[in-house]
Amino acid sequence: MWNKREDEPVRPTAAPAAAAPGGVTVRRETAAIGPSISIVGDVTGEEDLTILGKVQGKVELPQHSVTVGESGRVDADIRAKIVSVAGEVHGNLLAGEQILIRKTATMLGNLTAPRVGLEDGCRFRGTVDMETPPEKNRPAAPATARAPVPSTKPAGTVGPPTDSTGGGVTAKPEGSLTRP
Amino acid sequence: MRWFSGSRSTAEVAPPPGHRSPALKAILDDIPPGSRHAVLDLGPPLAGNIKMLSALSCRVRIADLHRSLSAEPAESRRPEAMGALFERLLPLAPGERFDALLAWDTFDYMRPDQVSSLMVWLTPACREDSLALVLASTRPQIPARPLHYRIVDRESLAYDGPSEPVRPCPRYGPHDLARLMPGFSVQRSLLLRSGFQEFLLARRADTGAARGQEAGVAASAATGRSWFRRGRL
Repeated sequence: MWNKREDEPVRPTAAPAAAAPGGVTVRRETAAIGPSISIVGDVTGEEDLTILGKVQGKVELPQHSVTVGESGRVDADIRAKIVSVAGEVHGNLLAGEQILIRKTATMLGNLTAPRVGLEDGCRFRGTVDMETPPEKNRPAAPATARAPVPSTKPAGTVGPPTDSTGGGVTAKPEGSLTRP
Repeated sequence: MRWFSGSRSTAEVAPPPGHRSPALKAILDDIPPGSRHAVLDLGPPLAGNIKMLSALSCRVRIADLHRSLSAEPAESRRPEAMGALFERLLPLAPGERFDALLAWDTFDYMRPDQVSSLMVWLTPACREDSLALVLASTRPQIPARPLHYRIVDRESLAYDGPSEPVRPCPRYGPHDLARLMPGFSVQRSLLLRSGFQEFLLARRADTGAARGQEAGVAASAATGRSWFRRGRL
């Protein structure tokens, strides 16, 4: 993923296979939104996601990790198992396990997770709440430090459609995928 | 593995400067075990402080006020624009209330009208009897930017940051704070060897002014407009 050319289409990269309960082998996927990609709309999926481009909307991968790289810019709430931010996020983060804000990050919004790590030097304004999110459909903490998320617009899908392995990250309901 | 290197310098061994902080102890002692105390920290995000407060089950709101204010254009920092600026930099959710305010030395880097505008905005959001920690330098000059205050334990603070005094200090005293923070009263103050005076302030119970401000906030929440701005129109 790190060596891929910027003009390559976005597609998931295969990660080592993992054994699911019952002995069924499940391929674990990692998707990336490249630095030249902009998505307006909601992003959901069943694999880990690295964001190096721009996302406006909502990112929901409650069973997986979301990494916002240094070049990533997200104007959205993010709900995931693990969230790591090295780029810029305007939105609330809700993680089932942990949130890590790197020193290069600019973060405006509230952080809710059982474990939150902030590296000294990061730019952060918002609330840190290390309570455990009780159930997966719990709404994000009330927004206190961010503008409303812009409404979603036309169609686009990033990554392959969901298959029997459960892979794929989808921009929905109708996100736009653009290259500057 | 540092002990194998044999090259430790004195600077590595010397502990960072700091002081015993009765005000911090009072604030932390005021947090009942297992409560969901809401703490407003006007300083920058410091991992150790957040970890310490979170371990006490607190919700911690980080404002990083000095950096936010410095990033604003001079136009936005005009006295008449300060209310709108704080409303934008420190938006309050309806019903959001704080149990403690950690101001550190942030006020030393603000004009009196800025402190006053900030407190007009913040005081209604502080619960009755909530406590505030303020550090004010008594020296004629202060460094270019606020120090980083790190909570070492329940009653000790360490600090780091620039030490070269380069800008004039407002030298806020207890009477200044009483004037600039009308909803609060100074409970105790302590002059430190470092030249700082540490203040512990408590939000006064329901003064007339505070009642008016809280009514304004309620009206603002109902109308979606700022009580502060409406009051000045």
